[in-house]
Amino acid sequence: MNAIEIKNLTKNFGEKQALQGLNMTVPVGSIYGFIGENGSGKSTTEKIICGLIHPSGGSVKLYGKDYTDEESRANLGVLIETPGCFSNLSVWNNLMIQAKNLSIENPEDEIRKILKLVRMEGAAGNKYKNCSLGMKQRIGIAMALLGKPKLLVLDEPINGLDADGMRIMREILVDVTKNGATVVVSSHILGELEKVATHYGIVRKGKMIKEMTAEELEKSCRTYVALQTKNMDETKKLLSYKYSRVEKDEKGYLRVYDVVKTQEIVAYLYENGVIVNEIKTDKIGLEEYYIDLMSEKGVK
Amino acid sequence: MEKNFINTSFSKKLKSMLNVDFKRLSVSPFFYVMVGISLVVPILILVMTTMMDGVVTNNPQTGLPGEPMQGFDYVWQILGSLSGTSVEQSGMTMDLVSMCNINMMFFAVAVFVCIFISEDFRSGYAKNLFSVRARKTDYVISKSIVCFAGSACMFIAFFIGAIIGGAVADLPFTMQGFNGANLVFCMLSKIFLIPVFVSIFTLMSVIAKQKSWLAICLSLGVGMLLFMMISTLTPLNANIVNVLASIAGSVLFAVGMGAISNLVLKKTSLI
Repeated sequence: MNAIEIKNLTKNFGEKQALQGLNMTVPVGSIYGFIGENGSGKSTTEKIICGLIHPSGGSVKLYGKDYTDEESRANLGVLIETPGCFSNLSVWNNLMIQAKNLSIENPEDEIRKILKLVRMEGAAGNKYKNCSLGMKQRIGIAMALLGKPKLLVLDEPINGLDADGMRIMREILVDVTKNGATVVVSSHILGELEKVATHYGIVRKGKMIKEMTAEELEKSCRTYVALQTKNMDETKKLLSYKYSRVEKDEKGYLRVYDVVKTQEIVAYLYENGVIVNEIKTDKIGLEEYYIDLMSEKGVK
Repeated sequence: MEKNFINTSFSKKLKSMLNVDFKRLSVSPFFYVMVGISLVVPILILVMTTMMDGVVTNNPQTGLPGEPMQGFDYVWQILGSLSGTSVEQSGMTMDLVSMCNINMMFFAVAVFVCIFISEDFRSGYAKNLFSVRARKTDYVISKSIVCFAGSACMFIAFFIGAIIGGAVADLPFTMQGFNGANLVFCMLSKIFLIPVFVSIFTLMSVIAKQKSWLAICLSLGVGMLLFMMISTLTPLNANIVNVLASIAGSVLFAVGMGAISNLVLKKTSLI
């Protein structure tokens, strides 16, 4: 059984088609990285999963049951956009409100455990309005984790977090899935997402254009040769004669994406009077894979 | 992974939600501000109208002296007028004084309910609530009950303010054409009429969601249509029939408007 199964999901806002027959499958126990440009339909999909907006068509199933089913809804933990907290109340009281709404038994114990999990034990008495952005995001995660949900839907949870905050968030997500939960997480910070996601879904213009596992991404992310010489412009011109795709990256390396050995490139440049200062092979990451896919450069 | 709240009954959910909403109400500075205003307003009205009683001002258009300002004859006039009397017979004209009575509290209730509910949507609390709970019914019931309780507190504050204001302004506490029991019935009928308005204001608030200004405008607009019935249903010489009529009306409105509010929540986007 899948945690989420979406078929032909459509959503129209007036004349605008936000979702155009989106399909999505999230396996149980996975950390599903949900990726797409702004306005691609990620948040709309997440809001539909959470029952906050109604789809125009298609079906959404959570653990095999319709998303409107009360039992399937009770399995959800949600952080959409911002944590739903009252600014004049303390962190503890905000969590207590959510715990009571969820009819959790022994809410004090559970809140203490969750505050420990999100590394916020010392901030329970702080007023929500006085918390930093990173703390607020973690409070949002804590709210979502109340009641031990089987399915967590997190919209941009690492936005605005510092490096330490991102690390903590990663650890939390891994901890949660170790306990059997499934996580759907959307983010623009693909480098971070790559460190934890086990599955990916790439959405564009309201359609799922690619779904794959982390292993499949690994295989899809082709290797390239990166090199530096004294005269990069001349080198690029030379390499472009022989290889189909040569690009300069932001670190100042020339990248050759063709399947080729480093020795072959070194020899070719040497024959043409160019000495290679540095050469290495590497793999493109999720971010570059995504950019390639979006710009339809034809990465496998 | 075991969940520890999955099989909660409707009554338990409602109870926990009521618990939360009453807790929220009790810690909401806005609620205390509204109660404070409700307490101060009758004091100001009674004191100022007594001070202005008999003062003649010139008509700005003609320059001629106008009608003398008329204050309250006795304290309880601020709670309403006697039934079966015309505006003049009841000792009040359609001037500022006659409009400044407890019935205008229904407009304050509109502001209170709309801001209290829209805060749920603005803060994202409603989003948290509805994403993990399918039932909108308990939300509507809980909000209606809590807003009724909060509004009743405002009415009681107004009543206390009227007594204080009457004492400060040195107005008589005499009862002309009604007795103490009628006064109690009058207040009870007004309080039991609150759910009629709360259910309407709740509906407007769930329609407008986080746009509290829209909810307030809609509520005041609809409230205005029903405003005139308040003085008829809850006169100073009210009796048990008035109280029962208020309760019956409230039950009807609460059920009807509650069902519509529930439908609105089910059929519209929640953010």
